[in-house]
Amino acid sequence: MRCLLYVSCWLVCAACSSSYKKLQRTEADALCVEVFKPLFTRALYNTQVNVTGKHLSGLLLIKTMPDSSIRMVFSSEAGFKFFDFEFYKNEFKVHYIFSQMDKKPVIRTLRKDFELVLMQHLNTPASYTLRSNEHYYNVFQDGKDFYYYITDSGCTNLVRMERGSRRKRVVEATMHAGSDGMPDTIGIKHYNFNFDIGLKRLQDDTEK
Amino acid sequence: MRKLVFIGMLWITAIAAKAQRPGYALLADVSSFQTQFAAASQKTNTIKSDFVQEKNLSLLAEKIVSKGKFWFKRENAVRMEYTQPFQYLMIINGSNVYIRDSQKENKISTKSNKLFQQINTIMIDCVNGKALQSNDFKVRLFEGKTTFIAELSPVNKNLKTLFSNINMIIEKKDYAVSRIEMHEPSGDNTSIHFVNRQFNIPLADALFAIR
Repeated sequence: MRCLLYVSCWLVCAACSSSYKKLQRTEADALCVEVFKPLFTRALYNTQVNVTGKHLSGLLLIKTMPDSSIRMVFSSEAGFKFFDFEFYKNEFKVHYIFSQMDKKPVIRTLRKDFELVLMQHLNTPASYTLRSNEHYYNVFQDGKDFYYYITDSGCTNLVRMERGSRRKRVVEATMHAGSDGMPDTIGIKHYNFNFDIGLKRLQDDTEK
Repeated sequence: MRKLVFIGMLWITAIAAKAQRPGYALLADVSSFQTQFAAASQKTNTIKSDFVQEKNLSLLAEKIVSKGKFWFKRENAVRMEYTQPFQYLMIINGSNVYIRDSQKENKISTKSNKLFQQINTIMIDCVNGKALQSNDFKVRLFEGKTTFIAELSPVNKNLKTLFSNINMIIEKKDYAVSRIEMHEPSGDNTSIHFVNRQFNIPLADALFAIR
């Protein structure tokens, strides 16, 4: 019984532990991460989504439009469209979403996940840098959300991206750049529930 | 008032323009077409074909092209294997669907999902020609030089949110479906063009097996 109590206490402490508590404030310029901002001229991704034990796959097309807005269209391999989102500066528009996905928490989660990857919050006035022994955490605050872009000390390599609160990490994303500046792979993983997205770039006929 | 009449005339012109298809005329003798189409469908026990799928995103001025192989076996078995630019396998066998993507495989009974069941039925019915008799659609037929177009407009509210209409392009020479176009209310569409078609060749049941 006593053992169970210790284990419970440990689990509670672990759950409350801060992801960013041990980081030290530093004077480095957080905006150095701007160079890692992906420029999606036009890219098609093979997409795998795992959410609470369910699996969904499809194709995600990301394209920058002439007005510099970014459109994301996700459809099944057979052409059935799931959603069509538009990101423009700090604005977001749902052009279409399949009725069974049309729920506020779903849209909000997807919006924030993609905004993290698109680095849409770099223009916020509330930015600063923290450091650990290994990495620099370039932080951009937007309301209750904190966007962390984690680099090496020289800001030459983007190690990973995270979104969370001031204390706790909620989502982690990684991105590996391709030869033309557009990411070859993107991974998004949630820590508060079972949800991950994997994108792998496809070279399709229309790019040739 | 004059302005209203003008707007009214413009609207009627727009509807009339939409109703017409360049190079096609509304088919007068529908019963003769349906008899011949039904007879050709009855004779088709299997189809093996390549396909080219094109997803057109109108507002983005973009298209996504994929290719693969297609098999059909009477009464209601379809196998679609996408090979370019990704690997994806879908088998529909009665009310069961098997999907294998690059990461996982999945078996679904469409009985548990009404929408999935409807889409599944449309897919099969477009291939075997039963869609023309379906109560889910209002059908209009057009005749061109070498092909007919069967324009299927959904009457069901759920289907209307997914498709504005589905067109089956039917070859005049053999009454076989050579292309299926699915038009969405947003203006986007997906077309599947069947090429190198072979009819009534033996196809093993194993191709459509869902284990």
